[in-house]
Amino acid sequence: MTTLTDRYVHATVRSVPEARRDEIARELRASIHDMVGDRLENGEDHVTAERAVLTELGNPDRLAIQYTDRPNHLIGPRFFVTYQRLVLRLLLWIPVPIGVLAGVVDLVDSGSASAIGEGIGAAVLVALHIAFWTTLTFAILERVDVDPGLPGWSVDNLPELPTGRDVSVADTCASVVMVVVMAAVLVGQHFRSWVEDGDGGNVPVLDPGAWQPWLLIVLGSLVLELFIQLAVLRDGRWTMATATANLVGGLLFAVPVVYLAAGEELLNAEFFSQIGANERSFDLTHLGVLIGVVLTIAWDVGAGYVKAWRSERLTSAPSSEPQAVR
Amino acid sequence: MTSDDVLRTHLQELRRGTVVVASLTALKSPGYGYGLLQTLARHGFNVDANTLYPLLRRLEDQGLLTSEWNTEESRPRKIYRTSPAGEKVLALLLDDLDAVGASLASLTEGDPA
Repeated sequence: MTTLTDRYVHATVRSVPEARRDEIARELRASIHDMVGDRLENGEDHVTAERAVLTELGNPDRLAIQYTDRPNHLIGPRFFVTYQRLVLRLLLWIPVPIGVLAGVVDLVDSGSASAIGEGIGAAVLVALHIAFWTTLTFAILERVDVDPGLPGWSVDNLPELPTGRDVSVADTCASVVMVVVMAAVLVGQHFRSWVEDGDGGNVPVLDPGAWQPWLLIVLGSLVLELFIQLAVLRDGRWTMATATANLVGGLLFAVPVVYLAAGEELLNAEFFSQIGANERSFDLTHLGVLIGVVLTIAWDVGAGYVKAWRSERLTSAPSSEPQAVR
Repeated sequence: MTSDDVLRTHLQELRRGTVVVASLTALKSPGYGYGLLQTLARHGFNVDANTLYPLLRRLEDQGLLTSEWNTEESRPRKIYRTSPAGEKVLALLLDDLDAVGASLASLTEGDPA
């Protein structure tokens, strides 16, 4: 007949390394016997005493962990900081671009509105994969006794204090180049598109009828954007004024584009028939441009205000210099 | 977390290392698991059985304790004894415990360092 003690000892040793199983079982059994014997001498009956002793020893899985000296956590303090930073960084940079890419591919492929769902689905799946595989890798690292040679921390890694000039020349250059390229494409596609009709004539990507006055306004917003970038560089930071100018610029860009896209007057139908795309993809590209522009501009305007708010908070924060003590 | 929990956590932290010192001291004369548990309890070291038994094995793995099975009695028991290496470590640990006590005393006296 199996006793509670038999079951308890079995439950404990089944998860310790096999080589030491017998000895731990033997010792544990002896200890339990001693403890029960002590209680019997105090007048308890055997059943009560055995239950009390096993309860005192607690969950056998926990005891087994103590015996094997295995880590009692998935990822311990040695790796946690590195793990956390890596996962956050990967989640920040990878799923969204892949989701957008998957959505665009699906849009081109099927030309249906399922592209949005496809993109979100792909992003979620990629995020799950990143979280799972990174966690698994670090959980294994925690359990094998090797030094993975992860970069340590040194004082050189300390972030700079905010100096008020948190806008770099590189950032400004990137933004300016973007704006110039956009303007060049906008103008270039009208006069010299890369698609020709049967007679070698020029077929613009955008509806030629949209130029007056809408696309001129869009061009104007790009010029405004150029000045905003230069102003931000001059001030060394975003201010509420530049953020508001950025809002105006964003509206000047978004309102015409959204107006045209909603009325399907933005893109050139002839261009679409020349490259052999159907009516449906013409509709859907309009929808895609509309959503894309709204999201991008909303993000850009919001980011301007957040940066302005942050830099104003920092510049008004009290100095951390120690005060002289009298 | 109530203040009772806070206190319990701190006491646990404070006591953790002393169980090793107490076990190495007590096992200078040979003893078995439950016997040691009772001895420690009698002297004010309230250790849980599920902490002490695995600890003895770990100390044995580290060479600080030796063990042998005593089969003379009706039920065999594993008898532990502090090894020479264990005695050396114990001496160092006791010195450190004294040093902690001395440091605390000098802090309390408010030595104008």
